[in-house]
Amino acid sequence: MLTLAIQQLMTKKLRSALTVLGFGVCVNLYIVVTTVMRFITDDLDLQVQRFTGVLFVQSRGLAGMSGIEWPPISSTISNDEATAVMSLSAVDPDRSTRVAFAALAPPPYPTAPPEALLVGIEPGKEDIFLGGAGAAAGRADFPKRRESDPDAEWQLPPAILGVLAARHFASAASATTEVPSPVGPIALAAIGSTVSVRGKEFEVQGVIEPETNQLLRSAVLVPLDDAQAVLQSQNSVSAMLISPRRASDIEPLQSEIESDHQELMVISDKQLAENARKLLDRVNQLFNVVRWTSVSVAALLIAIVMFVSVLERTRELGTLRAIGAPRGSLLTLILSESAGFAVAGSAVGVPMSRVVIRQALGPDAAGLRSREIEFGAAGVLSVCSMLAALMPAWRAVQVDPVIALRYE
Amino acid sequence: MDSEPTPTSDQAADQPAPLLSVRNLERIYRLGEQTIHALEPLNLDIHKGDFIAIAGPSGSGKSTLLQLLGLVDSPTTGEVRIKDRAAHDLGNEQRAALRLRTLGFVFQAFNLLQMLTARQNVEIALALAGCPRRKRRKRAEALLASVGLAQRLEHRPLQLSGGERQRVAIARALANDPDVILADEPTGNLDSQTGFEIVRLLEDLNRAGQTIVMVTHNLEIARRASRLFLMRDGSMREVDPADPQALD
Repeated sequence: MLTLAIQQLMTKKLRSALTVLGFGVCVNLYIVVTTVMRFITDDLDLQVQRFTGVLFVQSRGLAGMSGIEWPPISSTISNDEATAVMSLSAVDPDRSTRVAFAALAPPPYPTAPPEALLVGIEPGKEDIFLGGAGAAAGRADFPKRRESDPDAEWQLPPAILGVLAARHFASAASATTEVPSPVGPIALAAIGSTVSVRGKEFEVQGVIEPETNQLLRSAVLVPLDDAQAVLQSQNSVSAMLISPRRASDIEPLQSEIESDHQELMVISDKQLAENARKLLDRVNQLFNVVRWTSVSVAALLIAIVMFVSVLERTRELGTLRAIGAPRGSLLTLILSESAGFAVAGSAVGVPMSRVVIRQALGPDAAGLRSREIEFGAAGVLSVCSMLAALMPAWRAVQVDPVIALRYE
Repeated sequence: MDSEPTPTSDQAADQPAPLLSVRNLERIYRLGEQTIHALEPLNLDIHKGDFIAIAGPSGSGKSTLLQLLGLVDSPTTGEVRIKDRAAHDLGNEQRAALRLRTLGFVFQAFNLLQMLTARQNVEIALALAGCPRRKRRKRAEALLASVGLAQRLEHRPLQLSGGERQRVAIARALANDPDVILADEPTGNLDSQTGFEIVRLLEDLNRAGQTIVMVTHNLEIARRASRLFLMRDGSMREVDPADPQALD
């Protein structure tokens, strides 16, 4: 029966090829969507983990009301208010900082931060934002101002770039460097090169290690004063990252800030995680629709192709029944053909998905390929398709052997 | 229509038990309110080594009888026994198993699987019976050689002539060493010369001990059988194939 199944697939070459291709596209879609879902979930988890034990203070702006905007780009807090919060006794001033955010490029996909995100932070407190992430090249902190005159300006203010931001600025940087990536070598703004952010020039001092999260990969970390100058908002910041002196102070501090400053909202790491989960739920709902659509299309495709095949081969199936083929053999025949489509389709869809993921996510695709997802996708689609093939297979075993003896 | 059972040919007391026998076999089709008596009640015993021809015009009931003998259809009344075992009331799967082991079919339109080679067409019958791969290949080649197709093993049906296709079908029918071969108009799709070649092949098989039941509307071919039954309007009578008057 296996020979017969293979011969049938080989005989109807065009139909088989199109069915395999269709199934492959569905497998590809399922893998790509699942991979992106996992990427976004893992990335948001990493972003949230970076801020464990930290309170995020932002304004109750329109976008900030739900607390879902992340990072809080549209939030605005006056310098006076920020200073007042920072001076609270429970706040650890060495581990707290005011932050200015601004989008320099649109996000590459929903839920992602902007591809280039200006992050103004108080010098010396870079690690509050970086959360321990190091530099892949150069340094991950701002250099000291001239030792002889700490108040003097840098010749050019420093910028520490995430990988995506370094790639974003490569075309306009004074010098670039090439680094390998899953999509081939990519150009990044070189250490020591000059980049222009909304007309103000910065010297690239470092590139943040890429194995972090999308927030850090997008970051253009600059001193807060310079960020405010770029944004022409010297009197305000976007948010504050507040660390309490003691871990037990986190909830009282949150209450204190919110009661003293009605226009501010304080988001704890738990609320940040909850917001991330809400955001993910919305996005995943959409992704799940796409995933299950691909499963349904694959199952329907196999069912239709096998139905047509059974109808075309009624006489052949009748002959097999007449010469003594048990129902199980015919069931095996039809299911073998369906399995053939599923296996060949998966063999097409898996490599297709690798190409699509590489092309769609670029450098972010590094380490995203998951055998678990690939096998899972092939398995889910194959099982659903085999279940769908049971209908035509049942039709096949119902063929009356008398048909074989009829001469038309 | 003759509703009396037709006489059987097993009057001889020393005859061994028939391979295939039918008793009071009747087939009635109902189409809405219309009732069609396709087969009047009849009896027939088929013994090992018989070469039986069932002849008659279209619509006489000969194909219906073959379908009942071949266990692909169920009688309205009466019984079919194969090797003294009641077969008419078996379930579909048991009947399929019985067909596989004891009956070989040769069809008018050959009914070969177009995408398979001649060898694979024979092998499939062996595979259904659970014959191991290596053994079935050898057996298929031997069977095709025995019907004169040793040089056509890897040809597909469309690459074969009508006569060659029917030879492949005969080889397939012989694959599981059946007790009886049921041939439904085996020459119906062939020119007269090729048709006679096929009948000669069936005669050779019969001389080698193979029991054959052949349905045909061609009297010239039918009279070459050792026993001849004529059918008309669902009734059957046995005649002497050597008697030229009998066919009038």
